[in-house]
Amino acid sequence: MTFESFAGQALAGVSLGMVWFLIAAGLSIIFGTLKVLNLAHGSLYMLGSFCCYQVTVSLAGVPGNFWLAVLVAPLVVALVGGIIEVFLLRPIYKAEMIYQYILTFALVLIIAEACKMIWGTGYHSVKVPWPFQGSVAMFGLSFPIYNLFLIAMGPLVFIALRTLINKTNLGRNIRAVTENREMANALGTNVPQVYTGVFMLGAWLAGLAGSLWPPVSVVMLGSDMAVVIDCFIIVVIGGLGSLAGAFVGALILGLTTAFGLYLIPKLAVAFGFILMIIILIIRPYGLMGEPE
Amino acid sequence: MTGAGMNRISLLGTSPRNGTMLLGVMIVMVALPYLLGQSWLSITTEMLILALSASALNIMLGYTGMVSFGPAGMYAVGAYTTGVLMEKMGWGMLPATLAAPVMAGLVGALVGWFCVRRSAVYFALLTLAFSQIIWTVVFQWYSVTGGDDGLVSVPVPDFFFEITNCYYFMLAVVSVCLFIIWKIVNSPFGMTLQAIRENPNRVEFIGVNVKRYQLASFVISSVFLGIAGSMFCVFSGSAFPDYAYWVKSADMLVICLLGGIYNFFGPLVGTVVYTVLTKVISGYTMHWHLVLGGIIVLIILAMRKGVVGTLANYWANRKSAAA
Repeated sequence: MTFESFAGQALAGVSLGMVWFLIAAGLSIIFGTLKVLNLAHGSLYMLGSFCCYQVTVSLAGVPGNFWLAVLVAPLVVALVGGIIEVFLLRPIYKAEMIYQYILTFALVLIIAEACKMIWGTGYHSVKVPWPFQGSVAMFGLSFPIYNLFLIAMGPLVFIALRTLINKTNLGRNIRAVTENREMANALGTNVPQVYTGVFMLGAWLAGLAGSLWPPVSVVMLGSDMAVVIDCFIIVVIGGLGSLAGAFVGALILGLTTAFGLYLIPKLAVAFGFILMIIILIIRPYGLMGEPE
Repeated sequence: MTGAGMNRISLLGTSPRNGTMLLGVMIVMVALPYLLGQSWLSITTEMLILALSASALNIMLGYTGMVSFGPAGMYAVGAYTTGVLMEKMGWGMLPATLAAPVMAGLVGALVGWFCVRRSAVYFALLTLAFSQIIWTVVFQWYSVTGGDDGLVSVPVPDFFFEITNCYYFMLAVVSVCLFIIWKIVNSPFGMTLQAIRENPNRVEFIGVNVKRYQLASFVISSVFLGIAGSMFCVFSGSAFPDYAYWVKSADMLVICLLGGIYNFFGPLVGTVVYTVLTKVISGYTMHWHLVLGGIIVLIILAMRKGVVGTLANYWANRKSAAA
């Protein structure tokens, strides 16, 4: 492997990892606070990418339409998330876990079918937006600028989330509810509101990832399950409920996938799974997770 | 929780009335080829196999409290074992169908060993991940599985081309399997599984190796899923990657849920309700999944015990009101 191809794969892997991080972070935050495994998280991502595509098409002539889409699409997804939390999840928090799993599983079916009804089964693409078209030369190589932008987004969102959770009043409430729901409730925190807020935040992150990825890839049905499986691998590697775990896990999986694709394209999908199995054997609770 | 648990277990008991009902159902099943047309008989045969797979899943889901999202993986292992052995290796039907549960059991032991290392939420997502691995293997291993074309010319004996023969064969296989599952879940071993469902910590404290029992439950479930897959391969003469896809797992989960997971007969009733619903609704709309998703949401919000559980509660209430 030459240095050029090595650097190229590393870049592709990291940018993929950073997008995955956005999704896995949402999944992880939702699980940490609500104790709900949202199987429909990939569906929220897919919904975000379809919304992004829709906005860019609807505002085809408008300058900066992509950035409007990045603003609007995640908000739409967050709103859908809010509706899901208030009307569907809230009535069953007291029920057994199995019903929550299956409910979110049902949402996978509903969202996928709804997307199919609205946008059809074809592939859609979104152009690389201004001002990130083209490439930039580094180490004698040319890197697509948009990928560099994606790579920058990862740490940015990571730091923003850390600040939100550790430094703000809202974050204090989230941590209080995560730590002890009853006690937080007794001390006057509006727990249902925090739940809704956290679910919407998670959905917003999935929507953000969904609107940032299309310029590099395509918008299509089926990405929901592919993405949610990748996120599962990430949280198994990193530990569910840990933001840092999601970051590290996403980075590792992104790099593994990119190099796997380069070395043995036919078995690329297997690399992530093998990685997950290895982690399960040597460190069953994930790299950053704590024993249950 | 404990109160609900007691209720659940008592629902699983045998009574003379159940015995009479069971006999009645068996008589109707045997008489069905004389009552139904070819196409409905074919649908009923499919239903038998689906009922077996749902019951197999329910060993984990309802009896042990392990939410598996990957039963389709084991189902596909069974189907492809039979399919590949017959089509590519030229095995006879008997050894090929007997090999299916063995293979599914072995794969189930391997996958289960990883999955039971983690509990609850991780278990659920690991089962989904592993079933997707199986799907990927089936999809990519072109030389053996035929990739996305599947296996389409499994040389099934001519005997099965006559749908009535096929129906009776499946009825016999499924009845025997269900009887064995019934024996297993009502044995001391099955009671231990149910105790683990209610409270794994307490069961661990009284000296039971919970993980080992969960693994056993996983393997038994896989074996019967393998049989169901193998039977479907014989019935249809084909095997496709779709058998391992998560949508198939969703079907099985919904069937269990629809019928009621805390009752042996839940998955069976669920199969009938689900199949009839599919046939009726898909006659009206192309967007069957949307309706299906809506139905699941409704069941979970309004009728969490499923058809059988709700009816059983109704009867129990009426009885106690009369007494």
